[in-house]
Amino acid sequence: MTMLMAEPAELTDQEPAVPTAEMDLVRRAQGGDLEAYDELIKRYQERIYATIYHMTSNHEDANDLAQDAFIKAFQALKSFKGGSSFYTWLYRIAVNKTINFLKQRKNRLHMSLNDLDFNAENNPDLVALISDKTPRREAGLKELSEKLNEALLKLSEQHRLVMVLHDVQGQSHEQIAEVMDCNIGTVRSRLFYARQQMQAWLTDYLKPT
Amino acid sequence: MNENENNFESLRRLLAHKRHETPPPGYFNSFSGQIIARIRAGEASPARNDSSSDISWLLKLLQAFELKPAFAGAFASALSLLLVLGIVYAERPDSGPQPILQTDGQSLGSIAAMSSGTISQPPMANDFTTSNSAATSLQPVASLFGSQNVFAQPVSFSTSGN
Repeated sequence: MTMLMAEPAELTDQEPAVPTAEMDLVRRAQGGDLEAYDELIKRYQERIYATIYHMTSNHEDANDLAQDAFIKAFQALKSFKGGSSFYTWLYRIAVNKTINFLKQRKNRLHMSLNDLDFNAENNPDLVALISDKTPRREAGLKELSEKLNEALLKLSEQHRLVMVLHDVQGQSHEQIAEVMDCNIGTVRSRLFYARQQMQAWLTDYLKPT
Repeated sequence: MNENENNFESLRRLLAHKRHETPPPGYFNSFSGQIIARIRAGEASPARNDSSSDISWLLKLLQAFELKPAFAGAFASALSLLLVLGIVYAERPDSGPQPILQTDGQSLGSIAAMSSGTISQPPMANDFTTSNSAATSLQPVASLFGSQNVFAQPVSFSTSGN
């Protein structure tokens, strides 16, 4: 299911160019106009889905949670007063839903990811496979992606969220602070800790090429 | 902070690859349509939502317990405290029905009548009795014997041998 492309592209994670048009859509959706809400979904579906996917590392869960988040947002739309952008408000709903889901899943499984066997990280053949520019590099990248997801899942939900929003989705510290309802210093410290942890876990994959 | 950013540069490059973990092409073509269909289905059956909301508070409480064990502990502690307070209060010697008797003039009158050897029919019985049948009557049991007199003989016990 997971697909990897060759080169990363620049993010286009910016606020809508015409916020007044968005507010018009929001007001129409608040009045029950489903066509307007359909337009709002189309604007943000990929970003919301991507954030949830990077938090859960599972496409099926991401699909369910993203749909649930949009439905919950529609049901709560009348409480949206425009104090923040619709995008930030929607993001909060999706993020809270995802964090609750992850906590429930963790409690249900009664299993810590720290107990999993990560010895493969230290396999010299695998490291060489990924570090060298060989024809098998793409296949190695797929395996690397799996290791990366495993390492991400070892982080706490809060640290993982900061890392996903900043390093994967390219959001600013200010945007993340608004979504997570905390100050920028907290975002910076969480990001630093998360990077430290990830670097320690993935040290063999981070050798300079 | 710039030095830290440089230290993590290779990690950031690695994480950048995750941007391309996407669902299959065309996945989002029907995504919003599915959500709108679910919203319409939910609006079409509001009665079911209302009935399910009756138990939703209990589910939310259980979910809150599951998510925050500290909350569950606090809730259990509060319940235990209430139970202990209830037991302690119930076992206090001055916590019986005495204050009620002292403030109720009619009850005191009834006690006085009992001590004089007769049982007067309490006004409550008159208020509530609608049937003259003895089986369904709410009158005091004493009336079943046909006599309004109650014979009470004081009894005293003595431990002395003589």
